[in-house]
Amino acid sequence: MKSLRRFLRRAFALSRSREEDRLSREIEDHLGHQTAENIRSGMSPEEARRQAILKFGAIEATREAWRDQRSLPFFETLLSDTRLALRRLRNAPAFTFTAILTLALAIGATTAIFTLVYAVALKSLAVANPDQLLRLGKESRCCYWGGYSQAGEFSIVSYDLYKYLRDHTHGFSELAAFQAGGSGFGARRSGTSDPAHPYPGEFVSGNYFRMFGVNAYAGRLLVPSDDQPHSAPVAVMSYRLWQERYGSDPSVIGSIFDLNNKPVAIVGIAPPGFFGDKLRDASPDFFVPLNQAPYLEPANSLNEISTHWLDLIGRIQPGIRSQSVEASMRVALKQWLRSHWSEMTANERTEFDHQTLFLMPGGSGITSMRDQYNHWLEILMLVTALVLLIACANIANLLLVRAIQHRRQISLSMALGARPARLVRQTLTESLLLAISGGIAGLVVAFFSTHLILQFVFPRIPGLAAIPIDASPSLPVLLFAFGVSMLTGIGFGIVPAWLATRIDPIEALRGANRAIGDRATLPRQSLVVFQAALSLVLLSASGLLFAALHHLEHLDLGFDADRRTVVNIDAKLAGYQPDQLTRLYRRIRESLASVPGVAAVGIGDYSPMNGNNWSSAIAAEGRPAPGPNDNSFASVDRVTPGFLEAIGNPIVSGRSISERDTDSSPLAAVVNQAFAAQFFPHQNAIGRHFGIHGPGSEHEYEIVGIARNARYVTYGLDRPVAPFYFRPEAQHDRDPQTGFPEVDPTHYLHDIVITSQPGAHVSETQIRKALAKVDPNLPVIAVFSLSYQISSHFRQQRLIARLTSFFGLLSLALCCIGLYGVTAYNATQRTAEIGIRMALGADRAEILQLVFRGAVLLVGLGLLAGLPLAWASGSFLGKQLYGTDPHNLWVISIAVAALSLSAAIAALLPALRASSISPLDALRSE
Amino acid sequence: MKDKTDVLQGTLALMVLKTLDVLGPLHGYGIARRIEQISGDLLSVNQGTLYPLLLKLEQEGSIASEWGASENNRKARFYSLTRAGRKQLHAETQGWQQTASIIDRFLTAKAGDFS
Repeated sequence: MKSLRRFLRRAFALSRSREEDRLSREIEDHLGHQTAENIRSGMSPEEARRQAILKFGAIEATREAWRDQRSLPFFETLLSDTRLALRRLRNAPAFTFTAILTLALAIGATTAIFTLVYAVALKSLAVANPDQLLRLGKESRCCYWGGYSQAGEFSIVSYDLYKYLRDHTHGFSELAAFQAGGSGFGARRSGTSDPAHPYPGEFVSGNYFRMFGVNAYAGRLLVPSDDQPHSAPVAVMSYRLWQERYGSDPSVIGSIFDLNNKPVAIVGIAPPGFFGDKLRDASPDFFVPLNQAPYLEPANSLNEISTHWLDLIGRIQPGIRSQSVEASMRVALKQWLRSHWSEMTANERTEFDHQTLFLMPGGSGITSMRDQYNHWLEILMLVTALVLLIACANIANLLLVRAIQHRRQISLSMALGARPARLVRQTLTESLLLAISGGIAGLVVAFFSTHLILQFVFPRIPGLAAIPIDASPSLPVLLFAFGVSMLTGIGFGIVPAWLATRIDPIEALRGANRAIGDRATLPRQSLVVFQAALSLVLLSASGLLFAALHHLEHLDLGFDADRRTVVNIDAKLAGYQPDQLTRLYRRIRESLASVPGVAAVGIGDYSPMNGNNWSSAIAAEGRPAPGPNDNSFASVDRVTPGFLEAIGNPIVSGRSISERDTDSSPLAAVVNQAFAAQFFPHQNAIGRHFGIHGPGSEHEYEIVGIARNARYVTYGLDRPVAPFYFRPEAQHDRDPQTGFPEVDPTHYLHDIVITSQPGAHVSETQIRKALAKVDPNLPVIAVFSLSYQISSHFRQQRLIARLTSFFGLLSLALCCIGLYGVTAYNATQRTAEIGIRMALGADRAEILQLVFRGAVLLVGLGLLAGLPLAWASGSFLGKQLYGTDPHNLWVISIAVAALSLSAAIAALLPALRASSISPLDALRSE
Repeated sequence: MKDKTDVLQGTLALMVLKTLDVLGPLHGYGIARRIEQISGDLLSVNQGTLYPLLLKLEQEGSIASEWGASENNRKARFYSLTRAGRKQLHAETQGWQQTASIIDRFLTAKAGDFS
């Protein structure tokens, strides 16, 4: 009680500095009494006063003890140190500005990257108690996987397997399933005349929202009874769409919407901020029960027992360990596989023993984005950390110079009895103040750069949801920025602070300029060496990334990107049935071909490098059935006649896909050279057969032509082109058992490729008009050039290369400033020596050499230290280099040359100045 | 040295409280004078150390202070005992006497007393 009262009084006293003169008056009063007393006992007035003071004791010590007693000395000191630091910084505006700017850039960059790391890798879903969630699979797979075995782990399941796991796993309070990929829905409000607009959507199990523990913003969310084979079709709309497109109109709830031209009732609105089960660039706007898939999507996999297309997340029951749930689920998986033994292929049976599954913490949802971006975020995080280190080194250097300038003042304080700890505190307060100001400015920098990076990497498509990453700082980001600021402040402040107290007061006061100079030189020089080494790492890393980017942009893709326009369509969204498609595509091609300036039109499931990929295992005629570990996969595209011609992918032998390939003619395929070489080595592949339904299906397709190798898929760019084949749009695969035509989603082609005649321009309006003539309700999702599609694939790479080179140049500049400072300072310190040398007959060249040599030595040491690091950085960049040489000697040499050249200029300026001084002036300087 | 001042600090506080209890409100010089008179040369503390102690006692609420006119009509700061201070004085006096008597008995005891 007593101590609390005292604490409050002392804290209160912090704000009142006027109290100080209360003591002075009391002391004066006291001395007055004592003096009078002394005079009464017969002393002279002077003696009386002297004795009174002696008897009182050290007045300053009393004052200090009193002050310590009066308030909280720690805060008192902090306040006065802060005031002092502010005054000092105000008196050196150029230094303060440079330091804060440097820090703002460095801290800002680090914080911006951290914001992304946090959002992509650490942040939880917007759901209740995310720590209770478990998801299936160590890595995320998209979007379809066929058969009864999965490599490494079962991470994606069919609807049948989901139901089995849900009913036979113990320990989950709910286990929900949802699409691994996404669905697009052409949506419009029923009864309005608006054309259908494509929005992202997702098929989810009926307990999806209940599992996540979220509540409807309005209306109700889906419940298990909505997800039965004969339930009435319902959907939940995202808050974003409801608010942005329908102005939060309450009548939307309960109204009928046409999704893919099928009436569906909107039963409720998902809560604001809910972005589904994974981070992605456009969150779903419609959540629809799984059992509506057959109703909304003619080609769907709901009832295909061995087509896996669902991700799982479950909420664990309280008190149950995840290992026991995992064990129980593994048993269920084996039971399910066992029950399908008769349908399994020989390979799948041999793989049976290896089939297993893993449950991972699911609070962050399906982390496909993390898998995709982790490495480049790691690179950027490391790069910004290096820049921060270099910036710290620079500011430490500036502070050291200031410490040297202040040494007289410091020695005076020490001579007057200031404790070293107090002086360290003062200097540290100054650097922390700088760091925190830099941190605050850095938050602003971070906000804008996060914004820019987000726009660059995830450009928002108008009308759709933006990626749910907020550029404005959240609490963890604020904490991070504050922590980084404090660390940097201590990092660059501690050496100067320590050095400041290592002054011998007497020597410093005597004015000998070298007292601290010599001691501070070593740390300053090491800082420059350190900076040079790190700069070399950053420069060579950015060089390597640019070399990789250049390599990618000049890759021979095997087709022609010029004069090609890609039009994204989705006939599914307009409610087309599979048997209407061939006719639709023919009409589209005819309509577009009649547009003036159009040279060729083709439609494919996907155009080259759009990021899509379908593949299947190949059973080739005359080859033994592949073993479980043989790579027999080939990627496939489904195309109309004219597609290969429109792309400019030449046929090297045989014929292209043509109008002859109809649903009644034998199945035909065009394969690429890599396909022919892998499956039919040393023979003419034309006329040979292969199949995609496992052993026994070797005669399904006849190879009618061989196309030149071209890059259709966006991965494996560092390796030779992989096997690829093209199937005619008009032909359907036959079910191996029944012989009936199969309906698979690849029949819904997505990309029209239009080649314009040389010199002609085909506008988007012309294209849209020609398509509207075919069907005004056909949603045209986007129109862009093929070269844009290719370059946007390299967007990430370009961003990293640009950011790294920006940081590389920044670090180069910082390093040069540091070197310039050290050289200039050393030259000044040696002015007298230079004067003597010149007086003794040294010429300017010798002086120049003298000053320059020191700088060259520092940079040389830096290069030596940096080379192994630069070498290692190549290995760290790894696959980000797309197969270009990670130890590119050219790049490292150029980095070394750039650093040496800039360093030479930075050192030459002070050296020139030193050598141009007149010997007389030099001698007079001391 | 340090131990000695610590002991002195504790006893000094008690002396201040007792002085104010006996003599009523006093200024700093008066308190110092009184302590000096009673303890004689045995306690040759610097008078200055009194002031931080007075401040501490005031912060703890044992004493209060206000400006007033001293005998020679100067403005001086007068300290007086509060009710809490009186209670504290009472408790500490008892404690001190108890300690003193124990130590006293201990020091005057002869070898035979412990058998």
